[in-house]
Amino acid sequence: MSGIILSGRGVTKSFAGLTAIQNVDFEIPENAIFGLIGPNGAGKSTLFNLITGYYPLTAGEIRFKGEDISGLPTYKRNQAGIARAFQISKPFPALTVRENVAIGAMFGRPETHDAEATVEDALAIAGLGELADRTAEGLTMGALRKLEVARAFATRPSLLLADEPCAGLNPTETAEMVNCLRKVRDRGTTVWLVEHDMKAVTSICDRILVIDAGNKIAEGTPQEVVSDPKVVAAYLGEPLENTDN
Amino acid sequence: MKQGAALAAAAAVVIAALVLPMWIGPFYTRVLQLFFFSAALAVAWNILGGFSGYWSFGHTVFIGMGAFAAAHFVQQAGPFGSGPWAILVPVLFAGVLCGVFAAIIAYPILRLRGIYFAIAMLGVSQVVGELVNNVSWFQGGVGVFLPPPALDGMAPEDFFYYVFGGLLLLCVIIAMMVRKSRFGHALLSIREDEETAMMLGVATERYKIAAFVLSAMLVGVLGAVYAYSVGYFTTYTVFRLDFSLNMIVFCLIGGIGTLFGPIIGTAIMLFITQVLLSRFLDIHLLITGAMVVVIILLMPGGVIGALRAWRQSRATGKDREAEART
Amino acid sequence: MNLFLQTTLNGLVLGGIYSLAAVGFSLVFGVLGIVNLTHGIFVIAGAYGALVLFTKLGIDPLLAIIPIGAVLFAVGYAYQRTIIQWAISRASLVASLVVTFGVAMMARNVLQIVFGPDVHTITPTYSFSSLTLGDLRIDLVRIVALGASLVLLSVLALVLARTHFGRAIRATAQQPLAAELSGLNTRNLHGLTFGLGAAMAGASGAIIGIVQPFTATSEVAWTLNAFIVVVLGGIGSPAGALVGGLLLGLINAYTAQYVGPALTQAAMFLVLVLMLLVRPNGLLGNAFGESR
Repeated sequence: MSGIILSGRGVTKSFAGLTAIQNVDFEIPENAIFGLIGPNGAGKSTLFNLITGYYPLTAGEIRFKGEDISGLPTYKRNQAGIARAFQISKPFPALTVRENVAIGAMFGRPETHDAEATVEDALAIAGLGELADRTAEGLTMGALRKLEVARAFATRPSLLLADEPCAGLNPTETAEMVNCLRKVRDRGTTVWLVEHDMKAVTSICDRILVIDAGNKIAEGTPQEVVSDPKVVAAYLGEPLENTDN
Repeated sequence: MKQGAALAAAAAVVIAALVLPMWIGPFYTRVLQLFFFSAALAVAWNILGGFSGYWSFGHTVFIGMGAFAAAHFVQQAGPFGSGPWAILVPVLFAGVLCGVFAAIIAYPILRLRGIYFAIAMLGVSQVVGELVNNVSWFQGGVGVFLPPPALDGMAPEDFFYYVFGGLLLLCVIIAMMVRKSRFGHALLSIREDEETAMMLGVATERYKIAAFVLSAMLVGVLGAVYAYSVGYFTTYTVFRLDFSLNMIVFCLIGGIGTLFGPIIGTAIMLFITQVLLSRFLDIHLLITGAMVVVIILLMPGGVIGALRAWRQSRATGKDREAEART
Repeated sequence: MNLFLQTTLNGLVLGGIYSLAAVGFSLVFGVLGIVNLTHGIFVIAGAYGALVLFTKLGIDPLLAIIPIGAVLFAVGYAYQRTIIQWAISRASLVASLVVTFGVAMMARNVLQIVFGPDVHTITPTYSFSSLTLGDLRIDLVRIVALGASLVLLSVLALVLARTHFGRAIRATAQQPLAAELSGLNTRNLHGLTFGLGAAMAGASGAIIGIVQPFTATSEVAWTLNAFIVVVLGGIGSPAGALVGGLLLGLINAYTAQYVGPALTQAAMFLVLVLMLLVRPNGLLGNAFGESR
């Protein structure tokens, strides 16, 4: 774990006077799996949208690989190496799994040359090898989520933002997804994960950032975070062993 | 291994096609010539309609434009060269002209989607057809004559059999190359979901236009050769709604958006109409319409789609069995 | 100046007929989201029906509108509830477009076999009289045709606006699920709407038969005219159909008079393509919002 791939300083976002994210600092170490958790409405999605450039910042700055990217439009951030796997997957239904991934590999970043190898790599990592020649429309929810991650990974990002990849999955599928994200990290892609499933988060993440009502309330290893009284308080009424599905 | 077998099969088909006219006589040579022409048109239409999902209801505009372009080129510039090769330059000119025309109308017309694009293309073909018919310089109303190439004793039906066969092969190779390439993947992503494609970095506008121009050029070339094969033609010989519709129907029946679907669909439909029911000309439309309805209701993916669905369901069945055993 | 007025008058009369011929297509497009390429068949079937009733039984085409409308209503209802519904549930909305295209081919062929390739017209006794208004002259049949079209369009507009059936149709078009949840049988309503569209088309066919010559192959032109009318005027409403139809009639008449009668089709399609590029939802927009 050499450097810091993504950092935020004083990140703030307000919508018409309502502050959704207030003065949040973070540092994502390279080659980590970093978690972002918080109760519903804490601002997790807003923070992701600020990083991909979907919303402009109100104040603060975001640096990617040392460069200030706060002013860049979404597609430039994408080209710089930030990819996002969406919670609601949007596959190309009539195309095969392999073709879906290939489109990610071919058009994502201009300098990717060996698209074919990238595709096979992404398929293997997501465990989609056997389904590669099936069309996307017949896939199960678990396979669709994997496809979403594989397609994003095929753009060869250095940072992959995964938005609740385990939501709605059964325990077996969740375990497979956790495994898949580990492999993504092992290929040198940093993963930043928003997840509701506490079991998944604590088992996979190296470090976790906790926000509540737009404020950072804790950051640390899974053990530190889980035992932090502020976190427990924030989650009161919402048990830690969250079974969202 | 699999590729080698496919290549060998393709070579066998080509060789068989080369020697076939010696055995089957002029009637079936003409039927096959029509098959090559129609299949090549369907393959060319499919590059735009099947791969990118932009169905054109007016592709006959490029047949007509190609035919008249070749005829006027010969009238103005005289024949280029002699012997069978004399058709080469006018035919190429026709293809280029169609490509240029397509490039000019591409930007506005490809902003339309779905049925609106389809009908707008129908409109374009009607407008161009009527202009060719009524502006006297084009001579569409009275008709134009394209001098047949000197064939040195070869029967014209044999000659056009080979030319159309070669063009079909060319169209198939081009379609294959497109399908495998980055370009082809871009078109498929446009067909499936144009917005998501853009988000993944596909320059949708550029690829759509390229597919449109490529498809138009191929159809233009085919139209010009068709004009040579009929010799004398008027507007209504080449600007024909049924040409436009057949391209769609043949692709639908074989499997739209697939590589060989258009060829299979053309073979099925021509076999039914030209061989089985060749004497019942007055019910061809009924049969074609019925085929379209039946295919859409029973196998919406066409013949190839049905085969694939069958294979996929068999594979899923096997998975289930395997799962049940463990 | 008189020539201009005369041309305008001709265009408006023609436009009234275009409006009636298109309103069923527009309704089906707006409510069901289906581009019905069989529409022209309904129009031409209405014309042939009126021809048969007139020549065999001596029934006036304007009276024939009632039985023709009833028969086509039934045919349209049955057609939507079977073939079109199957196509939508088994494949997609796009598939329904292709199915209607296939059915149109079959029906055209059947009409050709039954009635032959000849061009027909219906000639009731008032066919050859005309009215004069100052210097302007107009055929009586055209006035009759325009009047009948306007009456039928107004009736349809009233049905849609005032009756329970009309409200149900509009509700189904805007929020199919919510309509279903409020106890409306949307499938049945879709069938009824389609039947109504077919009946209007058949009625227009009976009127067209006394004004213009027709053959089985004219069905293509009537489907396209309907499409153009919808693009010009807007989807789903009698008012949109009227605006689009009158515009199309005027374009047709002016082109025939000032550019050349052979170029009317070209002019219509040119306007169609330009209109699609500028304002694809028509001058009056989609009566049922942007939801489709």
